[in-house]
Amino acid sequence: MFDPSATLQLIVSGLAMGSIYALVALGFILIYNAVGVVNFAQGDFVMFPSYIAVSFVLPSVIVFGTVVHWQLPLIATYLLVLILMAAFGLLFNRIAYYPLRDRGWLPVVISTIGVSIFLRNLAQLIWGSQPIVFPSLFGDASLSAGNLHFRPQDLLILGVAGILIVFQYGLFEWTSLGKQMRATAQDRATAQLLGIRVDRIVAITFIYSVLLGAIAGLLVSPIFTVTKEMGGLISLKAFAASIVGGFGSIPGAIIGGLLIGVVENLGGFYISTAYKDAIAFVILIAVLLIRPSGLFGERVSEKA
Amino acid sequence: MNRRALAVAVAAILLAAFPLVVKSQYILQVGDSAIIYAVAVIGLGILLGFTGQMSLAQAAFFGIGAYASALLSISFGWSPWVTIPLAVAFTALVGALVGWPCLRLSGHYLALATIGFGIIVQLFLINDKGLTNGPDGLTGIPPPKLGPLTLDTYQTYFYVVYGALLLSIYVAWRVKHSRIGRALEAIRENEIAAQAMGIDTTRYKVLAFVLASAFGGLGGALIAHMTRFISPDSYSFDQSVVFLVMLVIGGSSTITGAVTGAILLTFLPEVLRPLKDSYIMVYGAAVIVMVIFMPDGLIGLVKRFAPSFEPSPPRPQALRAPVPRTADTAS
Repeated sequence: MFDPSATLQLIVSGLAMGSIYALVALGFILIYNAVGVVNFAQGDFVMFPSYIAVSFVLPSVIVFGTVVHWQLPLIATYLLVLILMAAFGLLFNRIAYYPLRDRGWLPVVISTIGVSIFLRNLAQLIWGSQPIVFPSLFGDASLSAGNLHFRPQDLLILGVAGILIVFQYGLFEWTSLGKQMRATAQDRATAQLLGIRVDRIVAITFIYSVLLGAIAGLLVSPIFTVTKEMGGLISLKAFAASIVGGFGSIPGAIIGGLLIGVVENLGGFYISTAYKDAIAFVILIAVLLIRPSGLFGERVSEKA
Repeated sequence: MNRRALAVAVAAILLAAFPLVVKSQYILQVGDSAIIYAVAVIGLGILLGFTGQMSLAQAAFFGIGAYASALLSISFGWSPWVTIPLAVAFTALVGALVGWPCLRLSGHYLALATIGFGIIVQLFLINDKGLTNGPDGLTGIPPPKLGPLTLDTYQTYFYVVYGALLLSIYVAWRVKHSRIGRALEAIRENEIAAQAMGIDTTRYKVLAFVLASAFGGLGGALIAHMTRFISPDSYSFDQSVVFLVMLVIGGSSTITGAVTGAILLTFLPEVLRPLKDSYIMVYGAAVIVMVIFMPDGLIGLVKRFAPSFEPSPPRPQALRAPVPRTADTAS
């Protein structure tokens, strides 16, 4: 029953999927740390850019019921998507968060839910309800080493996610912007007293989170088909990953994401394909019950 | 009987005429559904509005109630009058089993754990084909009978759901204005202080969770015998979100708010239907606008612009927090 080469392949593709969860989880955590709210639209920030990308990359795509042939070079498309999503992140911050910033977490949660409903149905309105296939950059051929076969897209995901994580580490450790972001997340009032423009830093954090989602979307869409629902399960599993790792902890989100990616891939193969999608949540509930602060979380006692 | 109780009684009697006045089957169907959703949302209100604990699994309990009642009535041929209460009891039991470990958590953590539970329930409904018939769903669920009368039209079924709604409102009202309700409110306002005053917070939170599940189960069982066909996709995470939005838009800490939110947001998509493909998109935007411009929900808005609607004497507003807060955000 145990098959070493299949297991190794499952681990690699699990790590790739796990990196996607990790990127989305980072998006969650950065916003959560900055403003204390879980952003329920994070999954749609994976879905929407994927749609934008396919409309510029594919030879012909139906947009608003008319066929378009934009077909830009891939790099130009990626840049365009990132610019558009950065603008969108700012808009999201101004509309869905800023007016509600002094009203506790629940109204903001509801407003991000509104954004999520809006984006999904905007996507359906623009691109219709047919799933769209994003062609892999590398075709369908797999890389072989001995009797091991890897999807090139998985390796690309691992590479890009690795670079992003290093980039983020550098940003947070060595740049003034990163330090301001950390200070704001840690204690908003004190950060403001120190002269940090807190609202601006929060807006930048939103933009950065949206971009993380967009990159995850661009990376994952050749593996998934692009549908308006594609972000849903990814974001819920990323949630689970961030809890498993310890909510609020950046290394925790990364390790939690990778762990869930690998375990669900192995579980889907060795235990049950039908319940593969449940594995992440079984891990989540188990971790919550045994160690609610997560694997890397600080043990937080609630403030009175 | 004070003026407020009188107003409620008059409204209740007027609403009972709804199926006699409205002849459109379509509007009646939406109306029945709205009332059923209101039952589930009242339950969620006990948990979120009264106690300040957020659940995103209300649709899962709705689904458990629907499947339990449907399976019992199909497999054993029992009357829905028997299977609906059994389904409610079963859902409450599941709620207790899930709530007891989960309610050691609070705030976002609780919300996330309930999301996980909801997804697992839905996957179970889809995959356990032997019991639930998988994605194809269950058909042939019997409608309830009253003597010689089969309650299989939206018109007659209205009175079943309406009765359930009145019962739910009564139970929720009794809970709110009892020792339990005050304990729940104390937990919502400050859990540590509540504990210090001798309230067994875990026990009361589990109780609120069980009540919320039971109301969800009741709603689910009612919808199963109305549509007489159920399938797993109606009990998704998205539906749980819809219940939450209904509650918050209506005004989460009052029963009237829960009922109003459920009815408004069930009819809103139907009103927006002439917009064709874009109607759910507009609905999403409307949710954002409403949450920004109605800080205390629809009920708060009504109170602000029509103070005379409130019976005299005015209640001290300061005792009422506009938004339920949990300890982790009350910094």
